[in-house]
Amino acid sequence: MLEVILHKRLASFQLNVAFTTGQELTALFGPSGAGKSLTLRIIAGTVQPDTGRLLLDGEPLYDSAQGLNLPPQQRRLGYVPQHYALFPHLTVADNIAFGLGHAPRRVRAQRVAELLELFGMQGFERRIPRQLSGGQQQRVALARALAVQPRLLLLDEPFAALDGGLRETLRQELAQVYAHWGITVLLVTHDLADVYALGQQVLVYDGGQVIQQGTREEVFFRPSSRRVAEFVHTRNILPAVVERVEADTLWLRWQGYALAAPRQPLAPGTSVYLCIRPTQVLIVRPERLTARRRDNLLYGDIVREIMHAETHTLYLRLDSSPAAHDLEITLPSYVYHRLGLDTQKRLMAELPRQALHVIPRQDDAVAPATPPPDAPFTRLTPEAEKPYS
Amino acid sequence: MSQEVQRHSLGRRRTGHGTTLLLAAPVLCVVAFVTLPLLAIFLKVLPQAGLWETLREPLVTQALRLSLVTSLSSLCLAVLFGTPVAYLLARHHFRGARVVETLLDLPMVLPPTVAGIALLMAFGRRGLLGPWLQVAGLQISFSTTAVVLAQSFVCWPFYIRAAQAGFRSVDPELERVAHTLGVSSWRTFLRVTVPLAFPTLLSGGVMAWARALGEFGATIMFAGNLQGRTQTMPLAIYLALESDLPAALALSTLLILVSASVLLCMRVFLRRGVLTTYA
Repeated sequence: MLEVILHKRLASFQLNVAFTTGQELTALFGPSGAGKSLTLRIIAGTVQPDTGRLLLDGEPLYDSAQGLNLPPQQRRLGYVPQHYALFPHLTVADNIAFGLGHAPRRVRAQRVAELLELFGMQGFERRIPRQLSGGQQQRVALARALAVQPRLLLLDEPFAALDGGLRETLRQELAQVYAHWGITVLLVTHDLADVYALGQQVLVYDGGQVIQQGTREEVFFRPSSRRVAEFVHTRNILPAVVERVEADTLWLRWQGYALAAPRQPLAPGTSVYLCIRPTQVLIVRPERLTARRRDNLLYGDIVREIMHAETHTLYLRLDSSPAAHDLEITLPSYVYHRLGLDTQKRLMAELPRQALHVIPRQDDAVAPATPPPDAPFTRLTPEAEKPYS
Repeated sequence: MSQEVQRHSLGRRRTGHGTTLLLAAPVLCVVAFVTLPLLAIFLKVLPQAGLWETLREPLVTQALRLSLVTSLSSLCLAVLFGTPVAYLLARHHFRGARVVETLLDLPMVLPPTVAGIALLMAFGRRGLLGPWLQVAGLQISFSTTAVVLAQSFVCWPFYIRAAQAGFRSVDPELERVAHTLGVSSWRTFLRVTVPLAFPTLLSGGVMAWARALGEFGATIMFAGNLQGRTQTMPLAIYLALESDLPAALALSTLLILVSASVLLCMRVFLRRGVLTTYA
């Protein structure tokens, strides 16, 4: 278990984080410059915080109150930086064995052989990093970190330098490594796909703070603030007002519609954001309308659509709405065609009550201006992280 | 279309040729300017009878031995003191780092005679530290130690400069990763930083050594011209030029051969081993 309380002030940036993670894959997710990599470096011991405390399985690595700061050599953590930092003058085998200097030669050779096998890198022992592909370099970097049997694995943007297909392969591999080792992993990423694939726990970073911690499902489907909702590409973040609260229903008003959401203790008149992911919006065929009880039916036209490899994204404008579009809907392409949406542009959509997530709108004061939807991270100052990038 | 392309590329090739020819002239001039004087020495020396005897004169052998001992001592001192200074300057940004850097560069641009006088004024018998040195029973000026000091003064910057650039070219992230792998700072320095900076360290060392070997002005001012004690090869050549031209030529030939072979060795070594693995 890792307990982290850290404060660090830089010239144009402040890091203030506190979190605890168990034995799992934890993703530090957020825009560039949010302090994720800095957190990793502080935990690794290569950057010293101003104040705070770091406990790994109850053992303090750093404690400003006690004036304790273990050097990185004594922390026994595996740290894999963004571009792997393989030693360019050493062979693959020597890279992996680098931290095993104290061990007898035979033990060292055996450990290297084990790791080469685990990562499917047999036959590459004598190569130097320059002769390896990006994916192979990453495997060697992981093997080198794991060779010293660390208590915690710190990965900084492990897939950022790789291209799409390889990324997916290496994500799977990392998941297997994790399963094989059962080691706590902290993974820094700004890629949602990494979080989907690997983040059992997610820490959402923004501006040097953790703005939400939770399981992947919590962060994706129940973001705690508008900002998190934007980061996890909720897409439909609808400004609504609470009308009344019933036994098990929270009634909201949005665009002239009364929408039913799961009950929450909110006073009538409260401004809220209603969140629903594009894949959660259902399209209702008129002939099936009476098949079961329906919540929250909306009527509108498809004003724009984007075709992806296996899905379609539709932009729905409600009747008599002044907006360019009101809802984003994503559905599998075969459903798109079965519903005849290639010709039929008028449709009825359902917002399932259980899929609606309501965020009280108090975060507006701290939330910055809404960035453009396709580049939600552009607002942040990249120089904040620069001293360590 | 393809014809047009062909004509176009032919035209380009022709201009390329012209440029090469145009550049060939200055290249030839420079090469000739450098080789002609060296060639002249060889042409004068080779027909000379008794070259071997000249080289075995005590004037020559003593100068040669003294030059090798002092220049290598200066180089060792440069590596010993210069390496930590260079590493510090490369890795840490502290207040006054710029000032230190500029001061360390100064001997590179200072006229050697000025350096010699400055050393005399500092360590000479009537210099700044003279009284204390005298109390301690140390007589520095006009001794072999003075030769080493004079050479060190002028040659250290060459090494420090190069070493600093070499260390700076090593990604500090590599050192950090080594630390997280449990490897001490000292071992990291020896196993990561030095090997990666080695080509630069080596060429800096060779430059510094060559500068020490050729040192004349500061040595003659600060250490004098005493055969066997302070008379290094450049000084011996200067002295011999007035009395014994064949000896001067023989000494010069020797220096050229030594310098050229060191330079050649370094280039071959860098080409073969180190540079190809790193770059």
